[in-house]
Amino acid sequence: MLEDALGAVSAAADLQELQEVRVRYLGKKGLLTQQLKGLGALPPDERREAGRVINEHKAAVEEAIRERRAALERAALDEQLAREAVDVTLPGTQLPQGGLHLLTMVTHRLLDVFTALGYEVAVGPELETDHYNFESLNFPAEHPARDEQDTFWTTDGRLLRTHTSPMQVRYMETHRPPFKVVVPGKVFRNEAVDATHEAQFHQLEALVVGERITMADLKGAIDEMASALFGAGTRTRLQPTFFPFVEPGAEFAIYWTHPRTGRQEWLELGGCGMVHPNVFEAVGYEGVTGFAFGFGIERLALVPYGIPDIRSFYQGDLRVLRQFRGAL
Amino acid sequence: MRVPHDWLAAFLGDALPSVERTVELLDGLGLAVETVHELPAAPAGVVVADIREVEPIEGSDHLVRAVASDGRQNVQVVCGAPNARVGVRTALALPGAELPGAGFTVSEREVLGVTSRGVLASPRELGLYDYAGGLITFGDDVQPGTPLAEVWPAQTVIELELTPNRADAFSVLGVARDLAAKLGVPMSLPHVGADAGDPDVDDGLRLEVADSAACPRFTLRRIEGVRVGPSPVWLQRRLAGVGLRPRNNVVDVTNFVTFELGQPSHAYDRRVLREGVLQVRRARPGETVTLLDEESYRLSDDDLVIATPGGEAGSRAIGLAGVMGGLHDSVVADTDDVALEVAHFDPVVVRRAAKRHRLSTDAHYRFERGVDPDLPPRASARAAALLAEVAGGRVHAGITATGSDQARAEIAFRPSRVAYLVDLEVPLDAQRRYLEGLGCEVREAGDDAWQVRPPSWRFDLAIEEDLVEEVARLHGYEHIGQTVPAMHFVPPIQDPTHRRLKEALADAGLQEVLNYVFTGPDELARAAAPAAAVTLSNPQGVERSVLRTALYPGLLAAAALNRAVPSLALFEVGHVFLEGREEERVAMLWRGPWARGGWRADQPLDFFAVKGVLEGLAAGAGAELRCLPGRADFLHPGVSARVLWQGEEAGVLGRLHPEVAARYELGEVYLAELQLPLPAGRVRFAEVVRQPYAERDLAVVAPARVAYAELASLVRDAAGPDLASLEPFDVYQGEQVAEGQRSVALRLRFQLDDRALTDDEVDVRMGNVMRAVRDAGYDIRA
Repeated sequence: MLEDALGAVSAAADLQELQEVRVRYLGKKGLLTQQLKGLGALPPDERREAGRVINEHKAAVEEAIRERRAALERAALDEQLAREAVDVTLPGTQLPQGGLHLLTMVTHRLLDVFTALGYEVAVGPELETDHYNFESLNFPAEHPARDEQDTFWTTDGRLLRTHTSPMQVRYMETHRPPFKVVVPGKVFRNEAVDATHEAQFHQLEALVVGERITMADLKGAIDEMASALFGAGTRTRLQPTFFPFVEPGAEFAIYWTHPRTGRQEWLELGGCGMVHPNVFEAVGYEGVTGFAFGFGIERLALVPYGIPDIRSFYQGDLRVLRQFRGAL
Repeated sequence: MRVPHDWLAAFLGDALPSVERTVELLDGLGLAVETVHELPAAPAGVVVADIREVEPIEGSDHLVRAVASDGRQNVQVVCGAPNARVGVRTALALPGAELPGAGFTVSEREVLGVTSRGVLASPRELGLYDYAGGLITFGDDVQPGTPLAEVWPAQTVIELELTPNRADAFSVLGVARDLAAKLGVPMSLPHVGADAGDPDVDDGLRLEVADSAACPRFTLRRIEGVRVGPSPVWLQRRLAGVGLRPRNNVVDVTNFVTFELGQPSHAYDRRVLREGVLQVRRARPGETVTLLDEESYRLSDDDLVIATPGGEAGSRAIGLAGVMGGLHDSVVADTDDVALEVAHFDPVVVRRAAKRHRLSTDAHYRFERGVDPDLPPRASARAAALLAEVAGGRVHAGITATGSDQARAEIAFRPSRVAYLVDLEVPLDAQRRYLEGLGCEVREAGDDAWQVRPPSWRFDLAIEEDLVEEVARLHGYEHIGQTVPAMHFVPPIQDPTHRRLKEALADAGLQEVLNYVFTGPDELARAAAPAAAVTLSNPQGVERSVLRTALYPGLLAAAALNRAVPSLALFEVGHVFLEGREEERVAMLWRGPWARGGWRADQPLDFFAVKGVLEGLAAGAGAELRCLPGRADFLHPGVSARVLWQGEEAGVLGRLHPEVAARYELGEVYLAELQLPLPAGRVRFAEVVRQPYAERDLAVVAPARVAYAELASLVRDAAGPDLASLEPFDVYQGEQVAEGQRSVALRLRFQLDDRALTDDEVDVRMGNVMRAVRDAGYDIRA
């Protein structure tokens, strides 16, 4: 009987068969259960011995069933795991790949720098008036200085701003010094479009006004920006030039290592200077001085990446746009 | 402005530094150097020669056989130049000479049976200046046989990119003056000492200036007995250096003085001036004049003209003042009596005329920026002396002129402002030296109080800050230190560039693109966008003639461009231009599939996938987003929603109208366009509820046209405040429900924050819900 039972346990092919075996021997009407129930019919002196044997058999069968169950369960799990295995080398589901435009990434980087230096960020309209774009910035009417900025005019006498500088005046009209502010944004020039000239591009403008701001503060601010962008100790240079809304005026350049050619050279970046008294007068400021500087953002994207054609920024070709990923 | 380095030497002598150092100094002075050109000498193997014989060649309508003499030998050449005439002195390139502008080496060759033993060369072939319409010609200053390179050496030309304020630097004199002031050296002035003429001596000329505001100064000087011919080589070379083409000695002198002193001038054939009278007046409306460019111009009374007596109206325009001379007044080959005009014209008058007639000349360019108003008599003396020198004329002792020198107002200047504004310590004597070097008169009026009278040529010096810049510029910006302003300013924390939104969209799988703000009316119509509200008056083509009224047309164009990309998600943040306002928006575009399976099934794109993106954005901003049925011309009428952000109309979301999609050859496309900013929600902390919730399901059968939002709102109102969440988990239309009906299965969760709800309490609430549903006329599905 024990051999039969153990044989049946080890022969059980799955958990259900094993359960049947259990019922057959250990169930309420199981063979071993029946034997135990039959003990009462035995004479008392045999009863004890017989009971011990039966209980031993019962324990042995239970143990065997437990072992068998464990083995079967393991096999079932192994089988399930094998069934569920995948080929991890097949490609994954392709979710749409998002990303920021390179010009946005460059702008963000610049705003990070200026925010860290304590500047406020402001923005303004792209459709402007002659007043904000030229007149309040000390561009006299009928002056060739206006020709330097080929302007898109609208039929109702407005214009697309040719620089971010109108925001100098707009900001000053609504704020009191001291302040430090940067203005990123689109600007427009009606110039022949080619690989290095676009009719639409981006600038970043900085304006700092306080009680005694000097041109050395301007140089210091440009230096700080250059160090933040290109590494500590990056040299900068100011050279005199003319913009109607600053006096003295300068253009600034950064001495950098060209990331592609490895050559050290001056990168002409933009214009700057001390805010012209006429501009302060236009917004009713007195007793303050200030500096402003501004530059094109495209150049900071084109040159380091060796992008041959500025027009590719606005053509929406994903094969171009998607190349610029991750940190700059 | 092109400045030959050795022309600067004529002003500065030995004090002129090397080319490299000069370039450095000019950059530092704000006269930005754009390029340095190395102009070669005349090629070796080219000699000056006279043409002795010219005869036609049989079989050619333009080639001639010419014999040229270099003084020792006669050389036979074949030549096709129209000015190959006996007596012309020109350049003969002998075999072996390399002609850079022609790209060949001269050799002996046969042309139509004639042996050509050299080449008579044009300026372009010689590489000297850009003219190929005839042979280069010379006068008596060079002798036949002279190697041309000896008299026409190489020169270095510095090209400056001048700013519009520095009108004074549009001349070699002006550039030299800045260098001299910077270097602290004296300068020799070519126009000082020349005979200025005596206004009391009658020269037979008369001036009638009708508008002295537009023409405050005018001088006429007579030079008699000139012989028009080629300019001397030195003069030709100077003009070639600044990029001009030499023409004849008289015209060349006027051009030379334009570049030397910055003063435009014009030489008239005296015979053109009827009765010796020259008039300056406004044009009569409709009057015409033919200018040097051989074009006829119709004038208005805004135009200032040079005229002479004659014609039907008694005065005939012969030139456009300050812009261009007339075709019929200029010197010709047999001119022997010249009247030289050197005048000053109002910058705005000249600028308007040049703009109106679309003319750009060396004269207008200088006048509109401002020429030294005191210069005319001095430049006239210089030009007259030069004419006499190079054209053999006699300068008349008299001069006919109007106007006088005007003293400039003084500028109050505090030398301490240099340190105040620029943070440069410049000693007082150095400041004075700089200002005087530039031509200012400096008068000390007190402690830290100077009166500075700027020179007549510096229009740009008007206020104290201008003088501060002059001192700083000459001292050198390189000496400016770098400091950090001591300032108390705490910037507000804002996100005006919508950086968070852009990053969230990029993270949600959308690629940012940037489009032009200008577009075309056709493109807006094609995209079914609102018609333009703003039109450009000077666009770059009709397809860029208006400003965009929506962002999505740009995304559609980008989607069409990227048709080959299997699954597309794009966004743009930018401005649109509507009637009376400029608005900032974000637009999104999706073209499926949502996710590509590749070797297995794709995840399809539909309205709810993209709505989920917007809901994700809102959730990220802690804002509430709702979509209600809406209409937009460009959207599928059945798949189109108004988007409410925090309860405010923010824009639209939907599927692109199939008709519009077909125009772009796009399939199913989804679009959203929302107005910015999309404000973040206000966060209010709520204690986490630890009580269990009770969940009940309910299937409502209602007409399919009843929006889910309507059902949800009905259920919410009936369920009361303990309804913690409501979610649809199945939406069914088909055999199981009646035609036109829809079953929406809802899962409701009820929860109290202080204790568990009993079954009875939940039943009461569900009873209310079911009653409300039935009262609304809807069924409840078992």
